[in-house]
Amino acid sequence: MARTSPAAGTITGTIKAPGQTNNADAVVYVEHAAGPFAPSGPIVMDQRSMKFVPHVLTVLLGTTVKFTNSDTVSHNVFSPDNEKYQLGTWPPGVSKDHVFAKCAKFPCVYAQLCMIHPEMEGFVVVLQNPYVATTDATGQFKIEGVPPGTYQVAVWHPKMKGQPKPVTVEAGKPATVDFTLGR
Amino acid sequence: MTVPGPSCLRRLATLGLAASLAVLFVPASATAVPAFARKYQTSCQTCHVVFPKLNAFGEAFRLRGYRMPAETEEMVKQKPVSLGAPAYKRLWPKAVWPGELPGNLPLAVNVKFANVNASTLNPDGTVTSIRNDFQFPQEANIFAAGTLGDHVSFFSEMTFAENPDGSVAVELEHARLDIDSPFGREDMFHFRIGKMAPNLAGGFQEMWISTDAPIDSVFSYNPIGVNGGTGLVEDATPAPVALPASVRGIEAYGIVKHRMLWVGGVVNGISPGPNGRFDGNNAKDLYARLDYKFGGMGFDGDTGGKAPPAENWRDNSLRVGAFVYRGNGTNINFASTDVQGDPLNIQDLHFLRVGFYASVYFQDLNVFGAYLHGTDQLQLLDPTSNEGLGLVQADSRAWFVQADYVFYPWLQGSGRYETVTPADPAAAIVKRGVATLNALIRANVKAMVEYQRDLNEGQNHSLNLLVRFAF
Repeated sequence: MARTSPAAGTITGTIKAPGQTNNADAVVYVEHAAGPFAPSGPIVMDQRSMKFVPHVLTVLLGTTVKFTNSDTVSHNVFSPDNEKYQLGTWPPGVSKDHVFAKCAKFPCVYAQLCMIHPEMEGFVVVLQNPYVATTDATGQFKIEGVPPGTYQVAVWHPKMKGQPKPVTVEAGKPATVDFTLGR
Repeated sequence: MTVPGPSCLRRLATLGLAASLAVLFVPASATAVPAFARKYQTSCQTCHVVFPKLNAFGEAFRLRGYRMPAETEEMVKQKPVSLGAPAYKRLWPKAVWPGELPGNLPLAVNVKFANVNASTLNPDGTVTSIRNDFQFPQEANIFAAGTLGDHVSFFSEMTFAENPDGSVAVELEHARLDIDSPFGREDMFHFRIGKMAPNLAGGFQEMWISTDAPIDSVFSYNPIGVNGGTGLVEDATPAPVALPASVRGIEAYGIVKHRMLWVGGVVNGISPGPNGRFDGNNAKDLYARLDYKFGGMGFDGDTGGKAPPAENWRDNSLRVGAFVYRGNGTNINFASTDVQGDPLNIQDLHFLRVGFYASVYFQDLNVFGAYLHGTDQLQLLDPTSNEGLGLVQADSRAWFVQADYVFYPWLQGSGRYETVTPADPAAAIVKRGVATLNALIRANVKAMVEYQRDLNEGQNHSLNLLVRFAF
């Protein structure tokens, strides 16, 4: 999501989510950066093998998300969060778009649910800027293309919480910040 | 009311003694649930000293609704099946509250083999002797237990006991659904519904002790008799209440500040009732218990920040508790006879059991015991006219003390003395001794040697060799 430029830096680090089976799905993001930032074209969240893929999707405000169905059964998409939406139910091979155009306070998190298969759950996280990364199972992350400056870096996780930390980014240099999440 | 003569009193006393012997060799049902070992990929000894006896961690696991203290997602190795994403909680009541299923069918099997050697003095003076009766198997138990999401758990047990004629007796011993910590502070409130071993008897009910013999002096006293109870009873219908080892009803319990355990219950009393009813009458029995634990691990597994001992059977502590059970047996007739041998009916109009429990752990030794005082208001009735023949106020008392000692992690010895003083002054005081050696061949396979003796009559004794295994 982030653009890179020679004058940009990176923010790297590791997330620890104690008690969780792994450290994946934590969204590490810069709370606020000077903009504006225009959303890119539609981003896909698929329903595949009875799961939302990716499990966590980060988008800029105004992004269109294309909800596709790669399964052999019908799926539904709705969210009970924020302004709430119900996109309906559609068969395999069909998709529906939704624009995430509102957010009173970043990040805006929308749980994605399927009424037909209640165990399915995904998340769309709407952010103010593109400086964001989602952790893998090891908890490592790397945010690229961050303009030099001092930022508050925060974490969102589906089950845990973390306190924001200040980070200073210098051109061409990596800045490091680690988080240990709690309940 | 007719006053019994001396010969009749002797007969009553003999009958009481015979009843006590009848239960002397009845085995207990014990519990080890390897379904939990599979779920957490952990050893039986995480929760048991020598199964089925629980250590402090196992007791916390049990009381918390089969959840480990401070349980985290990564502790659970068999991932549950989601029945709804957590976000559905926000949709309730417009959606079903999300739950979970155990990742694997949460079944476990216990099997017990017994080589029974017993001597019993019969009322006619003869002695029945049993030598090396291979009861292979004596019984098998199928357990299902686990959690159904954040606040729901369950436990059930079906027991199959093979009879000498090849028939099989089947009993649903437990079938219980628990609602765990639905509100308030964690573990402050738990609710159970079903057929269960009540926490009223936690710590000394047969499910949780290391002897094969249950503590009949507390649980199998028969309070019914023209002058009060005379001894022990087993498998009576309807079953009089001593202190119930199993109840059918609703129980609430909780843990306050790690150290205090409260219990309250409303249950069917004397049962079964007439016309296919489970309850003998429309009155419900009530019970309550309050325990406090000094030292050691809290009831919820809290250690106060201190590291627990490496020897997981140790828990240097003192637990004390008091309990009360109150019942009403109005309109439930027990067929009996008066001192002339004429039939009469007896109703236990009001019965009250008050008891105290204590358990001390010091290093490898655990000494525990209970005292139980029983009061029964017995109504004697003419079986034909239902006319009242008199009221009897009957008081009984029972107590036991047991010592368990861990010689090695795989070897534990137990000794118990138990006694009942029946309400009928002509009845013999029941005194019994039990000595048991438990040896773990593997964590889930154990051999036992158990000697029981009637301390009033040396002809009544048994020496049983047992093997139990669980998988």
